[in-house]
Amino acid sequence: MRTLLQFLVKYSILLLFLVLEIVAFILLVRHNNYPQSAVLSSANRVSATLYEAGSTVSDYFSLRTQNRVLMDENAELRNRIAALENKLEGVEEDSLAQYVYADKNIEVRAAKVINNSTHLQRNYMTLNKGERDGVGIDMGVVSKEGVVGIVSAVSEKYAVVIPVLNPKVSISCKLRKNGYVGTLHWDGKDYRFAELQDIARHIDVNEGDTIVTSGYSDVFPENLPVGIIDKAELTESDAYYNIKVRLAVNFKTIEYVSVIENKNREEQKLLEGVTQNK
Amino acid sequence: MNQWIENILRFVVLLLLQVLLFNNLQFFGLCTPCVYVLFLIALPPTLPRWVELLIGFAAGFILDIFCNTLGVQTAACTMVAYVRPLLIKNMIQDNERLTDTPSGTSFGRLTYIRIVAILVVLHHTAMFSLLAFSFHNWWMTLIQIVVSSLFTVLVILGLDLLKR
Repeated sequence: MRTLLQFLVKYSILLLFLVLEIVAFILLVRHNNYPQSAVLSSANRVSATLYEAGSTVSDYFSLRTQNRVLMDENAELRNRIAALENKLEGVEEDSLAQYVYADKNIEVRAAKVINNSTHLQRNYMTLNKGERDGVGIDMGVVSKEGVVGIVSAVSEKYAVVIPVLNPKVSISCKLRKNGYVGTLHWDGKDYRFAELQDIARHIDVNEGDTIVTSGYSDVFPENLPVGIIDKAELTESDAYYNIKVRLAVNFKTIEYVSVIENKNREEQKLLEGVTQNK
Repeated sequence: MNQWIENILRFVVLLLLQVLLFNNLQFFGLCTPCVYVLFLIALPPTLPRWVELLIGFAAGFILDIFCNTLGVQTAACTMVAYVRPLLIKNMIQDNERLTDTPSGTSFGRLTYIRIVAILVVLHHTAMFSLLAFSFHNWWMTLIQIVVSSLFTVLVILGLDLLKR
């Protein structure tokens, strides 16, 4: 007993050190499995407020470009309104239109990126919209250029997004020209590129083909741009292509995004659940 | 009392600098300096070791919350807090020097540089290895450690020169 006590006293500092390191490792491992905690991430009030303050300062440096981007988008939207109005004029006379249900199951909310990383092997992004603005876990996030990521945690005023640049996320995509579906995955190296997997060797794939979302998941609607094929390799023995995709979104400069809420998600999930349980 | 205020102030300033400036600074994705370690290096050397360990743990934990890297900085900073007293005891025999805040003047320029370099490399090695947990491009991690450590050491020594 005395020797044990002596031992403990003699090595108390080393023991404390080891205990603290073990706690740190438990945090690290658990965090990798459960990133849902809003308190212990950049969505908590103190750090999010700080990031927001920081981004109000850095905003001024990019006002000019942002203005131009918004103006471009305005113009594009105006064009689409005009085109749709033209179409509508022809349709209104046609009584068929009233029998078609409008597909109003999607609601889009604009948000600003207040913290973002691209250089880590697991990147995260913080948005300035949270629960009270209607943002919820598992909603899709897109920018004007294309798919950005999926909301993983929300607090009252902020949300944390797992972007495409995080191996935890894989997104169901398809080739726009022929509809073959694969999975997009990031390899942790370059923020401009990701890999498209599960495209079998008999499929016709070329460099420059456009990749869009498949619409098979309940997170993203169909046909949102994801990227363009940069390189497609196939060795003699491969069953699947090795496809390198140039992402449509530039994650280094991203500032404004939209959060997509699929209002029919619950219904779809429930229905799918019922069928699977039979 | 004065020393407490000085250290708390240094903590707040370094946290702000780290989160708002250094975390956004990346040269070709290779360099993420962590100047925040200076807070641990500049703690009074007379601090009891268990207090220093707890401070290192807490400081790492707080930075982790800001960076979404729960556990990584906690482990790295605790390690620095454990090694620092051993290093100082080993390198400085003259007890009179141990009363002040560690700096180029109180420790002697060369000794200070050596202590800073060793602790920074240790911290960055732990940090980047843990960040890369389960990934294969180890050479990338190695380059990150070397470049970032160099940058951090230079910034810390620059700050030390400025203070005079």
